[in-house]
Amino acid sequence: MSALTVRGVHCGYGRVPVLKGIDLDIADGGTTAIVGPSGCGKTTLLRVIAGFESPDPGTVFIGDRQVCGDGVWVPPHRRGLGYVAQDGALFPHLTVAQNIAFGLPRGQRRSRSRIAELLELVSLDPAFADRRPDQLSGGQQQRVSLARAVAPRPGLVLLDEPFSALDAGLRASTRAAVAAALAEQGVTTLLVTHDQSEALSFADQVGVMSAGRLSQVGPPRQIYEAPVDLATAAFVGDAVTLAGVLAGPLADCALGRVAVQPLGAGERDGAGTVLLRPEQIELTDPAGSDPDASDAVGIVEGVDYYGHDTMLTIRLAEPGSAVISLRHTGTDAPVSGAKVGLRVRGPGRWYPAG
Amino acid sequence: MTSVLSPPPAATAARQRPRLPARGRGRRAPLGVLIAAVVVSAVSLVPLGYVLVQTLATGWDEAYALIVRPRVGELLRHTAALVACTVAGSVLIGVAAAWLVERTDLPLRRFWAVLFAVPLAVPAFVTSYGWVSLYPSIEGLRGAVLITTFAYYPFVYLPVAAVLRRLDPALEESARSLGHSPARVLARVVLPQLRTAILGGALLVGLHLLAEYGALQMIRYSTFTTAIMEQYQSTFNGAAATMLAAVLVSLCLLLLTLDVLLRGRTRYARLGSGAARPAPRVRLGPAAPVALLASAAVCGAAIGVPFVSVGRWLVLGGTGLWTAPELLPALLSSLTLGAYAAVVTAAVALPVAWLAVRHRGWGSTLLERCTYLASAMPGVVVALAFVTVAIRYARPVYQSTLLIVVAYALLFLPRAMVSLRAGIEQAPPELDEAAKALGSSPVRLFGRVTLPLIAPALAAGAALVFMAVVTELTATLLLAPTGTRTLATQFWSFSSAIDYTAAAPYALLMILLSMPVSWFLLVQSHRMAGR
Amino acid sequence: MRVRTKRVAILAPAVATVLLASACGSSDGATDSAGAGGGSITVYNAQHESLTKEWADAFTKESGIKVSLRNGDDFELANQIKQEGSASPADVFLTENSPAMTVVESAGLFTDVDAATLGQVPEAYRPSTGRWVGIAARSTVFVYNTGKLTEAQLPASIMDLADPKWKGKWGASPSGADFQAIVSAMLELKGADATQTWLEAMKDNAQAYKGNSAVMKAVNAGQLDGGVIYHYYWAGDQAKTKENSKNTKLHYFGNQDPGAFVSLSGGGVLKSSKHAQQAQQFLKFVTGKTGQQILQTGTSFEYPVGSEVAANPALKPLAELGEPTIDEAKLNGPEVVDMMTKAGIL
Repeated sequence: MSALTVRGVHCGYGRVPVLKGIDLDIADGGTTAIVGPSGCGKTTLLRVIAGFESPDPGTVFIGDRQVCGDGVWVPPHRRGLGYVAQDGALFPHLTVAQNIAFGLPRGQRRSRSRIAELLELVSLDPAFADRRPDQLSGGQQQRVSLARAVAPRPGLVLLDEPFSALDAGLRASTRAAVAAALAEQGVTTLLVTHDQSEALSFADQVGVMSAGRLSQVGPPRQIYEAPVDLATAAFVGDAVTLAGVLAGPLADCALGRVAVQPLGAGERDGAGTVLLRPEQIELTDPAGSDPDASDAVGIVEGVDYYGHDTMLTIRLAEPGSAVISLRHTGTDAPVSGAKVGLRVRGPGRWYPAG
Repeated sequence: MTSVLSPPPAATAARQRPRLPARGRGRRAPLGVLIAAVVVSAVSLVPLGYVLVQTLATGWDEAYALIVRPRVGELLRHTAALVACTVAGSVLIGVAAAWLVERTDLPLRRFWAVLFAVPLAVPAFVTSYGWVSLYPSIEGLRGAVLITTFAYYPFVYLPVAAVLRRLDPALEESARSLGHSPARVLARVVLPQLRTAILGGALLVGLHLLAEYGALQMIRYSTFTTAIMEQYQSTFNGAAATMLAAVLVSLCLLLLTLDVLLRGRTRYARLGSGAARPAPRVRLGPAAPVALLASAAVCGAAIGVPFVSVGRWLVLGGTGLWTAPELLPALLSSLTLGAYAAVVTAAVALPVAWLAVRHRGWGSTLLERCTYLASAMPGVVVALAFVTVAIRYARPVYQSTLLIVVAYALLFLPRAMVSLRAGIEQAPPELDEAAKALGSSPVRLFGRVTLPLIAPALAAGAALVFMAVVTELTATLLLAPTGTRTLATQFWSFSSAIDYTAAAPYALLMILLSMPVSWFLLVQSHRMAGR
Repeated sequence: MRVRTKRVAILAPAVATVLLASACGSSDGATDSAGAGGGSITVYNAQHESLTKEWADAFTKESGIKVSLRNGDDFELANQIKQEGSASPADVFLTENSPAMTVVESAGLFTDVDAATLGQVPEAYRPSTGRWVGIAARSTVFVYNTGKLTEAQLPASIMDLADPKWKGKWGASPSGADFQAIVSAMLELKGADATQTWLEAMKDNAQAYKGNSAVMKAVNAGQLDGGVIYHYYWAGDQAKTKENSKNTKLHYFGNQDPGAFVSLSGGGVLKSSKHAQQAQQFLKFVTGKTGQQILQTGTSFEYPVGSEVAANPALKPLAELGEPTIDEAKLNGPEVVDMMTKAGIL
């Protein structure tokens, strides 16, 4: 049984449509991440599910219970969901313990053991129980917010860009703590974020949203390796796109003849675009020990050093003089003006033109 | 034709929460709140409506004859001269005092900071009483300007001091690095940022002056309000009084319009999340004794004179003054009316403030402006309106406590609103949503989340109203139920009969009752600036 | 003001209304529970509060009827009663001067005064209509600073004060009913034109003060040479500390001059009164021996008019004042206010 079923949700403000027909299923116990650029409507989708906005039209089922659509409307405080807002939204006038206990039935609110249990779940020291929100760091506030959301054992937890307000260093550790807590509780989770690496690492189902529609929903690997279109491809990871001509199982492009993933029935030869991931392109030394005639050749035009990696701008020698940018990790980055060879590993993905 | 598209690094796409306009089912204002707010705003328009209706009813010829006459010209000159001089004086003293306290190394700064705000606790008519006791021949424009400037400069001082505290020193430092001298920095960088605070304070001073009766009547400086009161004594709410009220109301509206125009559209946006560092302080050096002397002079004039006079009369009158039979009932009346008004006003301000913060739009702004309009009216006009309306359409409430409390609520609604708005902003809708998601129904969430968060602001607003009511004179004179005497009206009847000793205990009580609230205001403004 | 638990925003005004409704109509200080003698009356009092309080206290002591006072000025209260009409809560109206009584009488709001009460007051001190009676009297005087004016320089008539030589030298309280009564006598005696001219000269010559006490104080301090007030302010101050009158003396115009006008304080019972019997009782008391003796022996220093009670010995006897004969019922207060408004004084 699906923990969440969303069908045909449209939502807008006045004349401005934001969601243009969303269909989504989340399995029980699963973690889903919706990723998309700012303004694509992902927060609106979350708010529709939570009950803070009402879709027109559209239906939402939580478990097997319909909460909106077809004349049904269950107000947010009766949906039994957990909601973690972007900035935590802790109640400033309550202590951490009181915040966490907020959603619990009256009898359980004073249970110190339950509070301690929840604090431990989110990797916070039980001594935090008596602190006030303004005494916590951003990451700690988010964790308390999560503890508060899961305390009443909701069927579904919604997270609205929970890590985007944190410093980069804090982000990773908080994310790990949150992921662990949710996994331990086995809570069904829906996370929205604009950070694609966060989505890919956190969830077992990723949905890519753009301009109010979900362009693709599937496991992270599928989204990354077999994106349904170029826009999706570009959004979920670095992409090297090259114009090419397909002939049989190979596509002819500036990097030579590149194998592409098996095509579906009906795909024909012709012009189009080849998609490669940067990690598939290997740099070789053209004058080195293992020259391969099929390697493409290029001249390094720009080198931008970032410490952990280097961004290389390479002009290919092939006619057409295409320029590609690559990230190169490792200490042996070539210098500007050097001649490099480029070898493709693994198949690319083909998108026919038109 | 080739390109590599890299998704934007996560760090630069900062928290971009889409600004959701207030539409959709979840965003429409609750009907009950809307109705309450509309009712409140409608009642606030009664005084203005009264003046308009009466003006129309009087007929063009008579109205013209009553308005265009030499006496009105005289009153206009007096009033305009007073407003111009006092506003200028208040701005000068207020800004100077704020600058001395916040931006220089004046010795005993914290002490002066409090002292400069104390005149708030002394009603203007008590200040006047203090001066008249010492210098009985004080009169004319000079006397009026002297008394009212020292009574009202805190209206400019407090907001300017608060802004100075919050100013980002980076702006001034940048100007200095560009080669500006400290004086030029002050003139070209600091003062413009103070513009809103100064204008707001000046408006308050102007409106108070237009409404001032007791202080000016005591030194026989005639303005519209004193003339209206005189007409009232002679004709109750005759045509002449109403026409004068119409002119007075126009002056108030003029001031309000001027304020809006002068504020302009220039934005002095706060960059970043506020100053992390306090601003550098100017070393006074050899100018320090002069500054100290000036500060002492200001405080002496503003607080010293009334306190010394009250003290002198109390000593002269002896302990017998305190056993006067009217004292206790007057005190109780003031306290009761103050308490009633405080509670009612805070309760009534809640729906309007709620709409203004949570459901911003042209409708809620309009409602809010209506409530400000009533408070811009002098108490005498509001009281006249209420008396007339009550006698003609609402007999049962005529001369009742209900009517006077409603009048107070109208007059002092903005004081509660300003406080409440700030408080409601402390309870953003995100918290409401979090609470709802955790299972709190809307009613329970109001009690568990919203109310505790806005309670300090509610209390502050109620306290402000309490203080205002305890020292209110003109509306009380007209509207108090038979037999009800407040500290203010009793003070007034004694000082009108030149019985200054008998008036002294009332003056002292009014000051004592206002003190805690002034202190509270000071603390609030400190806290809002983050220190 | 600590935190109070309140209801939701919509309920808050409802609670407020309930609060107010319970306070509706209540007025502090008014006790209307039946006392030993039963009942209470509401008096709209334009007379000096201290004097009326003495009357009220003595009356309550004698009869057990409680008296609730609404204090105000002559015309303020007269116009208020007029506006209130038949729904007025007032039982008795007391004034300092008679024009205000005329205003209420001509609106038909007074009921006839008991014959017994009328009998206590000589005809000269009550209108022939019998709708109200005089309860006290006061004489117009010119108080002057002995250091600034010699007896030879004193004005012979109040009309002289219009002369340019008096510019800036005298003062009065034009917004008060007292002075307006004096001007109404002038209007009755000298006619509208002369009075309007005099008022216009007054605008140039005189300083306006609020209250006769303020005028007297200013004269005493030397800010004015003289002022037009009523006699009892001076007499009262002289009997106390003299601090506001020690440099001054009174000048009585006499000779039936408008400046010798003796103004009558009036008392009447309202037709709308719901306690007519007690109201009449009060009026009878005030004009009776006990009531009038309060004027003789008390601190108000006004002239008694009823029950043949003599004036306070410190005062110049009524018979010697040389006041002009005036029909009190003809004094027109509202017209005087209009004339003053026209002259730019109000």
